[in-house]
Amino acid sequence: MKSYLKTEDLAVGYHGKPLIEEVSLCVQRGKIVTLIGPNGSGKSTILKTIIGQLPELSGAVYLDGETMRSRSRNDIARRMAILMTVRVEPELMTCRDVVSSGRYPYTGKLGMLREEDRKIVEQSLAQADALSFADSPFSAISDGQRQRILLARALCQQPQLIVLDEPTSYLDIRYKLELLSVLKRMVRENDLAVLLSLHELDLARRISDTVVCVAGDRIDRIGPPEEIFTSDYIAQLYHLERGKYDPCFSTLEFVP
Amino acid sequence: MERKRAKRTYLGFSLLFVLLAVFLIWNLLAGSVSLSASEIWQILLGGGEDLTQRRIIMQIRLPRMMAALILGGALSVSGYLLQTFFHNPIAGPFVLGISSGAKLAVSLVMIFLLSRGVKSSSALLIGAAFVGAMLAMGLILLISQYVDQMSLLVVCGVMIGYICSALTDFLVTFADDSNIVNLHNWSNGSFSGMKWEDVETMAWVCGAALLLTFFLSKPIRAYQLGEVYARNLGVPIRAFRTALILLSSVLSACVTAFAGPVSFVGIALPHLMKALFKTAEPLLMIPACFLGGGIFCLVCDLIARTAFAPAAVSISSVTAVFGAPVVIYMMICRKAGRT
Repeated sequence: MKSYLKTEDLAVGYHGKPLIEEVSLCVQRGKIVTLIGPNGSGKSTILKTIIGQLPELSGAVYLDGETMRSRSRNDIARRMAILMTVRVEPELMTCRDVVSSGRYPYTGKLGMLREEDRKIVEQSLAQADALSFADSPFSAISDGQRQRILLARALCQQPQLIVLDEPTSYLDIRYKLELLSVLKRMVRENDLAVLLSLHELDLARRISDTVVCVAGDRIDRIGPPEEIFTSDYIAQLYHLERGKYDPCFSTLEFVP
Repeated sequence: MERKRAKRTYLGFSLLFVLLAVFLIWNLLAGSVSLSASEIWQILLGGGEDLTQRRIIMQIRLPRMMAALILGGALSVSGYLLQTFFHNPIAGPFVLGISSGAKLAVSLVMIFLLSRGVKSSSALLIGAAFVGAMLAMGLILLISQYVDQMSLLVVCGVMIGYICSALTDFLVTFADDSNIVNLHNWSNGSFSGMKWEDVETMAWVCGAALLLTFFLSKPIRAYQLGEVYARNLGVPIRAFRTALILLSSVLSACVTAFAGPVSFVGIALPHLMKALFKTAEPLLMIPACFLGGGIFCLVCDLIARTAFAPAAVSISSVTAVFGAPVVIYMMICRKAGRT
């Protein structure tokens, strides 16, 4: 099957200094690919480079068969949506306004919403289970609801690929599960390709079709969850000297 | 929700237009020479026998009023753009030192020309103000690369403003020329002595800048979610930021060139308008800020020239008295709203 997103020998890093080289990964439509790895191992750097926030140091990112560089801004915006860790603090915007901003690549000179745009906004809100608080100010809702609104916003862009950077951080367990189940449903219903990074190994194991292990200076291993989540390998990836990973419960434990 | 919003928009603009009409008329009526409404009506229609009265209305009050309206509006829109750019509620042309930079440049040009006995043209003054504004802005942008925190950036802006003002005062004090009296008046901020040519020039400059700003509505709306999301939506960030900076500098430079530095309109009015319309939607905010700023300056100019007549107060003293409390109040409300 053809990959929707593919990176070829991509080098990523800050200020022209490569942090990780030869990143080669691919995401197909309908699949979820998850980056895991210790803090500071470069998960965000890879994602930021793929979405074009950081320049590619070498290699290339292919989106639907063509390099990112050869595509226009609007072309990319219609194919790829994002949900990153930066705080979104819009002034006086309702949740529905935030979601409608996803229509940007489709609207005219002044960005007025047409009838069909509004319909898509409502559909996106519904798919993210966010209709009940759509009229609330974005600044007044909980973190879990915010992530769902941002997910609806991404969906409203009608992309084929969504890139998410640690979307579950700072959420309590109920919201984590809720968000990921919404995401999983979206993937199924819209045939989306999803690339995300996660801290929670149990969630990563449950949701991913492919897991990419980032280890600071390289991509250490790529494989299906059942191959990655073994006691020995996870302990090695996270440099657990005295701890151990329990594959039955997907939990990390310290051995006293 | 949609209906509620439409109603608020409608009511908001109705209120602004009523206020505009009231203060336009009030400004025409008020002044050291008292004229009755019917006399003024006669003069406006082209009648009126008394030449002095005619001159007062047509050559003094009317152009001054138009200048206050246009420049106040320009300043307020400039503030709105800067607040969008910096994602900071207290950004404004005066606070960031942009007005003071323009003031310094204009003083330099004025003194240089006056000492050679050349009369300065308004195009030249706008040009000088623009260069000064851009230099101050450039300095702020340079600092912003090293300073992440927006509050620190604003402090830097205030400092740059003080340096520029001090230099201007220095120049004014030591440039000995009888014409300097004018310069002194101007450097404190005033709408007095506006001529129709001036009004025409500022209308063209501000009108063009406003029109361009209006066409930036779409990227401004996307940018309100932050740079990362705006880039993903396809906003050409670099070009967009440059356009924002250029437009806000042109607008505040135009104000400074004609009326000197006017404080607090740029910060306070966008806040008031956002509170009135309960939205930050640029398609509404750009015209609303323009109208609001214009009305605010009409009111302040009215107070500046009539409250302590025959003495005239500088316009900045009045705008500060009314503008600063608004800013403080808004800050408190924001804080309360967030926690």
